Amino acid sequence: MLKLSKMLSLLLISSVVLAACGGKNENEGTNSGGNTDAKVQLTAWAWNVNVGALNSAMELYKKDHPNVELKVEDIGRLDVYDKLSTGLAAGGAGLPDIVLVEDDRIQGYLEAFPKGFLNLSEKGFDSKADSFPAFKNELASKDGKFFAFPFDAGPTGMFYRTDIFEQAGVSVDTIETWDDFIAAGKTIKEKTGAQAVPIDKFKDDALFRMMLNQLGVYYFDKDGNIDFNNPKAVQAMDTIKALGDADLVKDVNGWDGTVSATIDGSVATVPFGAWYYGTIIDQAKDTSGKWGVFPLPAFEKGGNRAANLGGSSWMIPSATKHADAAYAFAEYFATTNEVQEIAMDKHGLFPSLQTTYDSELFQGDVAFFGGQKIWKLFSEEMKDIPTPYYTKDYALALDEATKAQADTFNGKNPADALKESAKRLADRTKRQANNG
Amino acid sequence: MRTKAYVPYLFLTPALGLFAVFMAYPIIYSFLLSFQTSEAGEMVPAGLSNYQRLFTDEIFFTALKNTFLIMVVQVPLMLFFAIVLASSLNAVKRFKGVFRVSFFMPAVTSLVAYSIIFSIMLMGDGIINQVLAIFGIKAVPWLSHPWWAKAALILAMTWRWIGYNMVIYLAAMQNIQESLYEAASIDGATRIKQFFTITIPQLKPVILFTAILSTIGTLQLFDEPYTLTKGGPSDATLTIGMYLYQTGFRYFDFGYASTLAYVIVILIGVLSFIQFKVTGDDE
Repeated sequence: MLKLSKMLSLLLISSVVLAACGGKNENEGTNSGGNTDAKVQLTAWAWNVNVGALNSAMELYKKDHPNVELKVEDIGRLDVYDKLSTGLAAGGAGLPDIVLVEDDRIQGYLEAFPKGFLNLSEKGFDSKADSFPAFKNELASKDGKFFAFPFDAGPTGMFYRTDIFEQAGVSVDTIETWDDFIAAGKTIKEKTGAQAVPIDKFKDDALFRMMLNQLGVYYFDKDGNIDFNNPKAVQAMDTIKALGDADLVKDVNGWDGTVSATIDGSVATVPFGAWYYGTIIDQAKDTSGKWGVFPLPAFEKGGNRAANLGGSSWMIPSATKHADAAYAFAEYFATTNEVQEIAMDKHGLFPSLQTTYDSELFQGDVAFFGGQKIWKLFSEEMKDIPTPYYTKDYALALDEATKAQADTFNGKNPADALKESAKRLADRTKRQANNG
Repeated sequence: MRTKAYVPYLFLTPALGLFAVFMAYPIIYSFLLSFQTSEAGEMVPAGLSNYQRLFTDEIFFTALKNTFLIMVVQVPLMLFFAIVLASSLNAVKRFKGVFRVSFFMPAVTSLVAYSIIFSIMLMGDGIINQVLAIFGIKAVPWLSHPWWAKAALILAMTWRWIGYNMVIYLAAMQNIQESLYEAASIDGATRIKQFFTITIPQLKPVILFTAILSTIGTLQLFDEPYTLTKGGPSDATLTIGMYLYQTGFRYFDFGYASTLAYVIVILIGVLSFIQFKVTGDDE
């Protein structure tokens, strides 16, 4: 009886999910016998600029594979995870053939659902490993087996408004350290009224993560111990507090708030991964030519200025009915220079496919950024990026780090706030906290 | 004409079927899940360990405390103002419909639209703080200060549900005998005295009903903290409902999430029981 009701509910849930997804499925599934000439309808879940990249790649792919159709569902980033978790927990019901997952979440999914995703090494992806940087490969695999196709990376930079800097009479060449940045920020605020950086003070800690990575530390060390109490982590939070104390932080509400601040010029710089280029050219068209990029300021003169934020990879749920077709397309996507160059050129997604870095695109001027060679800047950064250790408990660590940042902005001493968060995280994850 | 005994059941089948699939099955399954834990993707029996974990879970107690704090302040406040509103509307002679509709509107407004508008209005430089500034009041950190964030949630929830409760009271007031008020005013009772000695006692069963509904609603509170504050700053508006969601869908701990769900069920049961006892209505 339980079996029957389980089947019934799965059936109902999947039909509801399919119906809710807008039902363009009427001509699929006529033949799933693996015939290469048969029409294959693939579905994919992605968000934001990735959707366009996927569609552009499919146009190219169809020239040689006219039988393959791709339907990309543009779902919000967090909604993808909600739906993916629900679908995996329900044994794969209602999942697409290809799904975009951010690098920081991959290990969590692989740990929670070891049988949920296709083992790409078994399909032969190991032979492509040399095309990607080592840290990206590490993030896309578990126990030496690939479970994700490395896609974009997020070498960081300070996207800044050249017109605001000019108006304030500040040159980016004078900004080497975070102290320099704070001094410049004060001048800019005084002269133009623009604040220095947008931070979602109480809900997200993106800048903190960039600083951690830049300093060669992260939420966890490479043995998986909690590293919130590392003096470098405290240094990063102290710097964020200093920005706040100088009234240089615009408190923004989530992603939308950050984008609005970017468009309306209420902040002079936006520290983010290279992928933010896509959002700027898309959302702030009127400001063409008024943008520039410089690397994150260092913590001391001559210190590291390279870091990574974000980046994502494609995964194939093992519940797919078209494993071979999905693998073939995703591999094509991940390893074809032309596809990756389009993804970057048109959608601002910085490839981790190293074979593309020598191309004209990477060495050329970018008009929207006043002719600056921003891609050269980003690609040169790649080799200096330390590996961040996310672990399967990344989501919990993110939650606790965000709380530490919120407490800091509400007046707590950064070291104390981090210490309390580290203790809570240790309770929640049963991990050791360093210097606890 | 005699109906065969099974015929009524035949008519009930669709409803029972839906109930079995969408209610009974999840209820039973989540109960079983609450005694399991995930190991390498497989759910394995865990005995009572999920329930034991509750007692050492600092965040669970924070969530519990927040939920009760919001409930204790919000439910009486909202119900009281709903009654006041209902009895003033009951006295209004013109534009009755306009008032009723406009107060009820929030209850049928799309949750997403309402919370986006509230989050924009409550922003640091949002319209509410701009209006306060006109009166020389310093900007209130609505969504970022531990206390103000709770106040903002209470404000938003009250706005959304006050009209709903008001309509229920308004309907109940139609059943109060007009003669009671006439007798009272002949005896010299003021309007305010009438409100406390006639209206409220007469509404008692309805007040109990709305109090229970609101209590249940608040114990399950999820929408407002999720959309307005994400439970922050630093868990200051984390409710049990939010914690349940995070545990299940952010941290993939479905076993412990089910345990939290059953904690909510037990709390609702106990609180409803107490409310029945305190108000002395056994019907």
